[in-house]
Amino acid sequence: MKPFKYINAKDAPAAVKLVSENPNARFLAGGTNLLDLMKENVEQPDEVIDITRIALTQIKATSAGVSIGGLGKNTDAANHPMIRQNYPLLTQAILAGASGQIRNMATNGGNLLQRTRCPYFYDVNMPCNKREPGSGCGALEGINRMHAIFGWSETCVAVFPSDMAIALAALDAVVKIQSPGGQEKSIPFADFHRLPGDTPEKDTNLGHGELITAIEIPKNNFAEHSYYLKVRDRASYAFALVSVAAALEMNGNVIKQARLAMGGVAHKPWRALKAEQMLVGKEPTEANFKLAADAEMAEAKPLEHNKFKVELGNRSIVLALQMAFNSDKS
Amino acid sequence: MQDKNTTIGKPVNRIDGILKVTGKADYSTDHPVQNPAYAVIFKSTIASGKIKRIDSIAAEKSAGVLAVITHNNAPKLNPKGGIRGGALLQNADVLFYGQHIGVVVAETFEQARHAADLIKVEYEQSDARIDFEKIYKDGVKPKDKEDEKRGDAKAALENAEVKIEETYATPIYHHHPLEPHATIAEWQGDKLTLYNSSQIVNGAQNAAALTLNLKPENVHIVSPYIGGGFGSKGGQWGNLILAAIAAKMVNRPVKLALTRQQMFNSVGFRQRNYQKVSLAATKDGKLTALAHETSTHAAIQDEFVEPCGDCSKIMYDTPNSLISYRVTPMNLILPTYTRGPGKSTGSFALESAMDELAYKLKMDPIAFRLKNEPEKDPSNGKPWSSRKVVECLNVGAKAFGWEKRKMEPRQLIQDNYLIGYGVACGTYPAHQRDSSAIVKLKREGNNVTATIELAAADLGTGTYTILAQTAADALDLPINKITVKIGDSDLPPAAGSVGSVGATSYANVVNDVCNKVTDELIARSGKQYFVRPTASQLMISEKIADIQARADSKPLETAEQYSSHSFNANFAEVWVNQSTGMVRVERFLAVTGAGKILNPKTARSQIIGGNVWGIGMALTEESIVDPRYGHFVTRSLAEYHVPSNLDIGELDAIFIKEEDTLSNKLGIKGIGEVGIVGVAAAVANAVFNATGKRIRELPILPDKLL
Ligand SMILES: Cc1cc2nc3c(=O)[nH]c(=O)nc-3n(C[C@H](O)[C@H](O)[C@H](O)COP(=O)(O)OP(=O)(O)OC[C@H]3O[C@@H](n4cnc5c(N)ncnc54)[C@H](O)[C@@H]3O)c2cc1C
Ligand code: SF4
Repeated sequence: MKPFKYINAKDAPAAVKLVSENPNARFLAGGTNLLDLMKENVEQPDEVIDITRIALTQIKATSAGVSIGGLGKNTDAANHPMIRQNYPLLTQAILAGASGQIRNMATNGGNLLQRTRCPYFYDVNMPCNKREPGSGCGALEGINRMHAIFGWSETCVAVFPSDMAIALAALDAVVKIQSPGGQEKSIPFADFHRLPGDTPEKDTNLGHGELITAIEIPKNNFAEHSYYLKVRDRASYAFALVSVAAALEMNGNVIKQARLAMGGVAHKPWRALKAEQMLVGKEPTEANFKLAADAEMAEAKPLEHNKFKVELGNRSIVLALQMAFNSDKS
Repeated sequence: MQDKNTTIGKPVNRIDGILKVTGKADYSTDHPVQNPAYAVIFKSTIASGKIKRIDSIAAEKSAGVLAVITHNNAPKLNPKGGIRGGALLQNADVLFYGQHIGVVVAETFEQARHAADLIKVEYEQSDARIDFEKIYKDGVKPKDKEDEKRGDAKAALENAEVKIEETYATPIYHHHPLEPHATIAEWQGDKLTLYNSSQIVNGAQNAAALTLNLKPENVHIVSPYIGGGFGSKGGQWGNLILAAIAAKMVNRPVKLALTRQQMFNSVGFRQRNYQKVSLAATKDGKLTALAHETSTHAAIQDEFVEPCGDCSKIMYDTPNSLISYRVTPMNLILPTYTRGPGKSTGSFALESAMDELAYKLKMDPIAFRLKNEPEKDPSNGKPWSSRKVVECLNVGAKAFGWEKRKMEPRQLIQDNYLIGYGVACGTYPAHQRDSSAIVKLKREGNNVTATIELAAADLGTGTYTILAQTAADALDLPINKITVKIGDSDLPPAAGSVGSVGATSYANVVNDVCNKVTDELIARSGKQYFVRPTASQLMISEKIADIQARADSKPLETAEQYSSHSFNANFAEVWVNQSTGMVRVERFLAVTGAGKILNPKTARSQIIGGNVWGIGMALTEESIVDPRYGHFVTRSLAEYHVPSNLDIGELDAIFIKEEDTLSNKLGIKGIGEVGIVGVAAAVANAVFNATGKRIRELPILPDKLL
């Protein structure tokens, strides 16, 4: 680990100023990802700006829905009564991630910015275009069981590992940002994370020095019928092979609105828009769920070791939709 | 001896428990030393070749750095001194990815780690043997393992009424004790103290001395507490020696701890195995042949082959048997003993095959096993000192509710889950090894206390506690009057805590030495007693202030006439999610016949700990080598998945009452290893019963069940 300077930021503008003035500075939130990456020399900041004392931790109702502080802890977001009641999909997704201890440290902003768990990215002795543009992709022809089946490019086949973000994508959240100039920005969730294209080093559309201040979720009618399904190699404390955030709004026996987002399959939360569209106006039957899943998964392009993700993704969409539909009954 | 005072067989709490939970038990690098420096190892990033140049200028100039040690300036050592895995900086050769190629020593750990990152190495690469799938067929007979044949297994297989021939694959598994390998080395003149976790205290002493060209008496191993080892701290590895030479070069005590990432290629692992098992039987289920042929790999310059065929040699009665091994060198670190070496992986193959054949015969797998129960050890004709397989199976079947199992797969369904039951047996040899011990008795007024001393090891398993119990009973003292001193090479030499010999060897010598001191006290009193008095009674009645005795115990001379092993039967109930393929072990029961159980509480922990690891073997654990580079892709505990709490429901352990005094005086057999044996097969068999899918390649990850 490279020696670095540690600075405690007193407020958001100060933090933004410090980081934006130095391309090698990083915000330090819970540190559960950044510090690991620093120990492995994947990240080598020379200045670390601690933002954990900035009071952007509140969860509050707004006219549009709810606003979750960017520096609040994952545990607090998951367990807040308003979230549990109105956005149970988000609670489930957060609690499906990491471990109790890590969620107690991890922040909501940090969660969205955690980096891929691709093992070649983590190992500085391996080629990786994301870590070192132009060095090649270690996973493309390497061990890629955990990697992408949608939206990848020859330069990078990594997946984005967050669970929380998959629920936020399904719920059409908006990321609130404070920019270096002092202005506030909003980025809709669908535009926040990126596909790798030719610039896999860029995970998101957040600029250097921009601080996530809050995440807003609009009001919705999904609370009765939603479910976060996470399939993984062990029952807890493992990243998703495939995950599905499913939410339905019913009108009698007909689906009025459907939301589906997938984790573990792409470089960003993968909104299954095709499947969503196919479900609207349909009855919530297994056959209809299956048709939607087939349509979505038909586009998948698996790699050498992750062909199973196509079938698994298909089954997971169906199961998640069933669980979502029945979630008011349990 | 009065009954009220016996502690053996009682669930006594660990006597070192409070020390551990309050952080007062000093593990390797916790020991207070004056002014320590810190060493960090750096490693090769190619799998095969030569180091052309090491540029350490920046590292040497980096803040706080005291020394950079490479093959260019390391002292000449004895590479045949008994350190496992090479990597002692003796030449420019690189034999595997992640081989130690140097050490940086600095004032602080952070400075040493940063400087190590500044080292630049140029290599001359050569072709590496790293793709097991491509090269395992080149395997040859290991140096120390001839094919073992009884009868003619091949012919019996050809003429079989019913048979199966299948290959079972297991991946590389790592030990990953909670405490990584760590050492403090401190020199005083030519005397060296090594604070170092050592499963074999005297073994570590001898290997370090021989390798460093010192006399064994000049090497002092201090290892009072060990944060787990599972075989990886049995033999010692290069890191121990690098700590010693670093301390010598900077003339200060040096602390060297491996990082978790470094643990993957520093201290061995359980090798990958392809095991072909062929079974032949008559239509009514009598085995006629058993062949167990293992293909595996070892290191380039050194061989270690875990004995996968061992269970197959003794578990079942068959007139024809073949056990063979083929091994191929690979550019990976030397494999090594790993909990239940050979037996845990071997039993996965054998007991899966037994299950497959039982299905083919349409027999209950328990009935099939009972039908092939051998009266004597089939491999050598010796009588068993004791063997409780039948009891394990019967008691287990009843306790587990085996009658609820349906023979046909996919019959038990609840919601979205397929439920299955599996059974599998296991075994591990029981031996006593030479050990010595001293007892020191002291009396103040009517207060008699005892100290027991021997160079035993406690890996966290409960050695302190069972030795205190043994001494308390033999001396007729309350357990809180006993002090146990172990884990130090200045104490009388003792066996290692390896291969399930620890409890047997230690408890017997402690019992012997306590009896011996009592004999001496009786002799000193010069009186005849109608009822044998206890040591403490004699100390008081004869007003003796202190006395000590030493015993050097050996195995019973008659023990070799018997075949002595622990045995078990494992029962698993799994729930498989039909949509996702995720498996949960809802219930697991191990029934074990392992001689006298000294402490049912620590024994239960041993067994269920082994069970958890066996479940990990079956379902989650796997170390993956990239066949292009030879590095481990899974290089942290975020990728090397040990089971989590949520993967496992209820665990239960039952011990069959057994005192095997033909094996050793106290009738103990050892439980450390057997707890993992047969576990993976029980889980895999349950998965088959649930799903109808026979998975012959571990671990059974969700995608294999889609
Ligand atoms: C063993 C392990 C298992 C895990 N398993 C899971 C899992 O199953 N599912 C899952 O979803 N996650 C998992 N995680 C990841 C965990 O959720 C993230 O590490 C965590 O959410 C990151 O939050 P943090 O506050 O600690 O971020 P930090 O590590 O502090 O920061 C991460 C990055 O975000 C930047 N940053 C932080 N806050 C802000 C902000 N407000 N504005 C702008 N930039 C910011 C930092 O500069 C840094 O680059 C796991 C982590 C570990 C270590
Ligand atoms: S998949 Fe992406 S992160 Fe992984 S090695 Fe390739 S470029 Fe790097």
